[in-house]
Formats: sequence, C-alpha cells, structure tokens
Amino acid sequence: MTTTDVREAGGDLDVSEAPLEQRGHHRGRRWILAAVAFVVLAGALGYLVGNEVQANTQFDQAHHSLDVTRIRIARVDVQLASVRRQLTGLQGQVTQDSATLAADTNKLNSAKVALADAEANNSRQNSVITDLHTCLGGVEEALNALSVGDQSHAVAALDAVSASCDSAVAADG
Amino acid sequence: MGDRRWRVAVVASACLLVVAVLTTAVATDLQAHARNRSEHTRLLAAHSALAKRRTDLAVTTYVAALTTNHRNDLQASVAAALGQIASTQSSQSGADVLGYLQSVDIGTLHTCLGGVQQSLQRIGAGDDNGAAQAISAVSGACSTIEGGAGDGLVYPFDFPDPDVVLVGSTYYAYATNSVAGNIQIISSPDLTHWTAVGDALPSLPSWATPDETWAPTVAQIGATFVLYYAVRVAGPGGGGAECISVATATQPQGPFADTSTGPVECQPNLGGSIDPSLFIDPTGTPYLVWKSNGGGGASALWSEQLDAAGTGFVPATTPVQLLVPDQSWEGGVIEAPDLVSVGGRYLLFYSANSWKTADYAVGVASCAGPTGPCTKLPGPILSSDAGMKGPGGESVFTDASGGLWIAFDAWAPDAVGYPNSRSLYLRRLSVSGAVPVVAAGS
Repeated sequence: MTTTDVREAGGDLDVSEAPLEQRGHHRGRRWILAAVAFVVLAGALGYLVGNEVQANTQFDQAHHSLDVTRIRIARVDVQLASVRRQLTGLQGQVTQDSATLAADTNKLNSAKVALADAEANNSRQNSVITDLHTCLGGVEEALNALSVGDQSHAVAALDAVSASCDSAVAADG
Repeated sequence: MGDRRWRVAVVASACLLVVAVLTTAVATDLQAHARNRSEHTRLLAAHSALAKRRTDLAVTTYVAALTTNHRNDLQASVAAALGQIASTQSSQSGADVLGYLQSVDIGTLHTCLGGVQQSLQRIGAGDDNGAAQAISAVSGACSTIEGGAGDGLVYPFDFPDPDVVLVGSTYYAYATNSVAGNIQIISSPDLTHWTAVGDALPSLPSWATPDETWAPTVAQIGATFVLYYAVRVAGPGGGGAECISVATATQPQGPFADTSTGPVECQPNLGGSIDPSLFIDPTGTPYLVWKSNGGGGASALWSEQLDAAGTGFVPATTPVQLLVPDQSWEGGVIEAPDLVSVGGRYLLFYSANSWKTADYAVGVASCAGPTGPCTKLPGPILSSDAGMKGPGGESVFTDASGGLWIAFDAWAPDAVGYPNSRSLYLRRLSVSGAVPVVAAGS
C-alpha cells in the first residue's frame, strides 16, 4: 500500500493533493453511485406508492361492494319481514278456517241426521196415507154397495181393505 | 476539509431522509393493505349474511305458499260444507213442509174415514138419516182428499144426476138414491159448503121398486114444490119398466109425497122413460123433458107441456121428440136432458155416451122453443179432464146474483165406474153468443 492509497483509505485524502485525473475518476464514481442510489430509491418509492394506490383502489371497491351488499341485506330483510308477517297472518287464517270447517262439518252432520229422520218420518207417513186411502176407498165402495142393497159386495169391499185399515190404525197409533 | 464534512453531512441527511421516506411509504402501504384485507373480510361476512337471508326468504316464501294453498283448500272446504249445509237445510225445510202436509192429510183422511165408517155403522143400525148426517159432516175433509174444490168438487160422495134449485137464500141439491135415502137432498148457503138434509122422498108408492129411484128434478110451481123422478115399476123379479113419477111437497127439503097409483110416463114401446127434468118457461108454463131408453132402437129426448100445477101433462098433448144421438162422441146414447132459457134462447143440455166410463160427456143443443125444434152445437161442452172423469147428469141453475152454474156428477180420475162414487161438481157457466162455455177446473 502506498502512501497515497493509505490516505485514500483513511478518508483524509486531499484532492488537491491527488492527481487531477484520479480525483475526477473518484468524483464520477460517486455520482454514479449517487445516481444508482437515487434510481433505486425512486423505484422503491414508486413501487411503494403504486402498491398503496392499488391497495386503496381495492379497498374502495371492497367498501363499495360492502355498501351495496348491506343495502341488499336491508332489502331482503324488509322482504323477509313482510313474508313473515304474511305467513303469520296466513297461519292465523288457517287456524280460524280449520275451526270453522270443524264447526261446519258438525253442523252438516247434524243437518244430515235431521234430514234422514224427517225423510224416514215422511216415508212412514206416506205409507200411512196410502193405507188410509186404500181403507177409505174400500169403505166408500162398501157404502155405495149398501146404498143399492148389495150387502155381499159391501162385505167383500170391507174385507179387501181390512189389512190396510188395520195397518193405518196401527202405524198411527 | 470543511467542504468534505459538509458533503458528508448532506449525504447523511439525504440518506436519513430517504430512509424516512421509504419507511413511511412502507408503513403506509402496509396499513393500506391491512385496511383492504379487513374490508374484504367484512365484505365476505356481508355476502354470507345476504346469502343466509336470501335462503331464509326463499324458505319462508315457500312455507307461505304452502300455507296459502292449505288456507285456500280449507276455505274451499268451508265453502263446500256451507253449500252442503244450505242444500241439506233446504231439503230439511222441504221435508218438514211435506211432513206437515202429510200430517194434515193424515188428519183429514182420519176425519173423512171416521165419518164414512160412522155412516156405515148407522146403516147397519138402520139409521139412514144418521148415516146421511155422519157422511155430510165430513164432506169438507173428504173433498180435500179428493183434491179440494179446484175442479168444482163440492160434495165428495156418491151424488149422481144432481139437480140444484135456489129457494130463498138456500141452495138445495137432489140426487139419485143412496144410503141417504130414495132421493138424496143436501143444502148449502154458499154453493161451497153442503150438508145432508136427509131423504127427500122417504116413502115410495106401492107400485115402485125400492132402491131404484134416480135422476130427480124439482121446481117450485106456485106454493108447491114438484118432484119428478125416475123409478122402476115393481115387477116379477124386480124387472119392471123404468118410468117417471111425480111427488109434491110444501117445502124444498120435503118430505115429498107420491100419492100416484102409477107412473106419469113410461113409453114402454121405447124401452121406458127416465131422467125427467122440469122446465118453467119465461111465461111460467111448465114443461117436462126426459129420455126414452130406446128399447131396440136409439135413445131419444122428449118434451111435453105440463098442466098449471105441474103434476101432469096437459090433456090432449103428446110428447115431442127433441133429439136423437147422431154425433160420434155421443156413442149412440143421449140422456139426462136439462132445458134452460138464457137471454131469450132455449138451450137443451144433455149427457151422452156410457155413464160408466170416462167417455161420458155433456153436449148442448139450441132450441126454438120448449118443444123444439133443436139443433145440436158442435162437440161436447164438458168432458173428462185432469181433475174428473165422465161428467154428466147435469143441471143448469142460476145463483142469487144471476150467475149461471152447471151442476154435474163425475168420477174421480183414478176411480171410474161402478161401484166407485160419482161426486157432485159445480162450475160456472157462461154463454158466449149462442154457445155455452163451462169454466175450466183449476
């Protein structure tokens, strides 16, 4: 190591003392290093800035989507509440209609029983009426036969309707 | 030397500045990324919440749809049940009404049957008047059974060949023999309600056959009520001729007395004489019209003037033939004449065809006078309809208001022919031009 080298390594190199060519060479290397450092720093800074801008953009997008989604949730909540209210009303109607149907079914069954009783009674009365008509016809026939002195015809007419007369009296009694 | 230090200081400051800037930039970037991740996390949670709510909404909507269908089914069932209830209740109402009407029918039938049975018992005890009273007491009930008065039915018992006269404010109707006696007589204040009076002719002359008296006709001539009737002359085996006799009374309900020793008219060569009918013309002159049976020939209707008392023919007069059967609907038989004067015209009503059938009907002829000549009007004016069959034995009379009526007997629609009853019917009669019109039954 020369004296010059030692001086350079010690940082105490006196430029004015180094040859001009060597001093210019050192100055150029410093500028290059400075430029490279600047470029590297600028690139790093640019990368960081770009990355942050991208992150902010994504954040904005996500935030907007979140707002939209929250609005949709609110709308669906409204719809859901409406449908639930509707369902509650329907269930109330179903309960009421079920009770009404049960009551009507009971009423219908009672009406059918009453109708069947009335029809059975009418059928029985119709039978009585038929017997009474038959009985009356025979008795009138006997009366007419007696009016012309035909007693045997009168007896036969009464005999012919005796069953109907007995049936009518029994049913009516 | 100082310059160098200054430059070192500048460089060091620059380096520190750069480091600070870079540090700040990195920190800011990291913070932005962190915030970004946090926002994405919230966004994912929000998406999840939205998806869950949408699922809830879909499920709830589906349940609501099912519930709606169930409710609609229930409401349809309720509506159907209400319809069935209404239908059943309507049927129930109809059945109740029918039951009530049947009860009324049964009550009416019992009333009618009771009267008829009582009448039968009275006959068995020989109490004919009681029998007549018993049967007339249930006239209304028995009329109802036969269909009421809609067809003109007013007395639902055997009352053939009726003749109705108005005396004062009371109508009297006379008819062929029955359980009520030789000549039935009933009365009414209003032509609707009729009550049995009894037997107008309780005693027959000795030459007459019992239970063989029919087709009476009564008129008031002066202060006397004159009754003509058909009667079978007593003969071997009860097979004597059919003739006409006369009886008189001082009141319309009788008793009429027949003091004759023989019939007034017989026409034995024409098969006998029956169905007499008295006619008093507008001048007060009495006539008798009747039917000859025809014997081997056709029946015919006759007319002859009576004396002033109305109990015998005017001497030196002879019967005049008015009509013979010549229309197809008459079936070769005409009978039961009844001559009336209406609006200056003489109308001769008559029955035709077989009295035992539904073909029996009433026709009419226009006559120039009480002894003819007569010209038949087309077709029967009264024949079977839905409410009665085989009308005939008619008599025409005027009510208290001057209205014309025709009284006739007819069979019930489901009981045509002997031994069924021929009941008494009354219907209004009008004359349109020269043509009599009988009101239709309702």
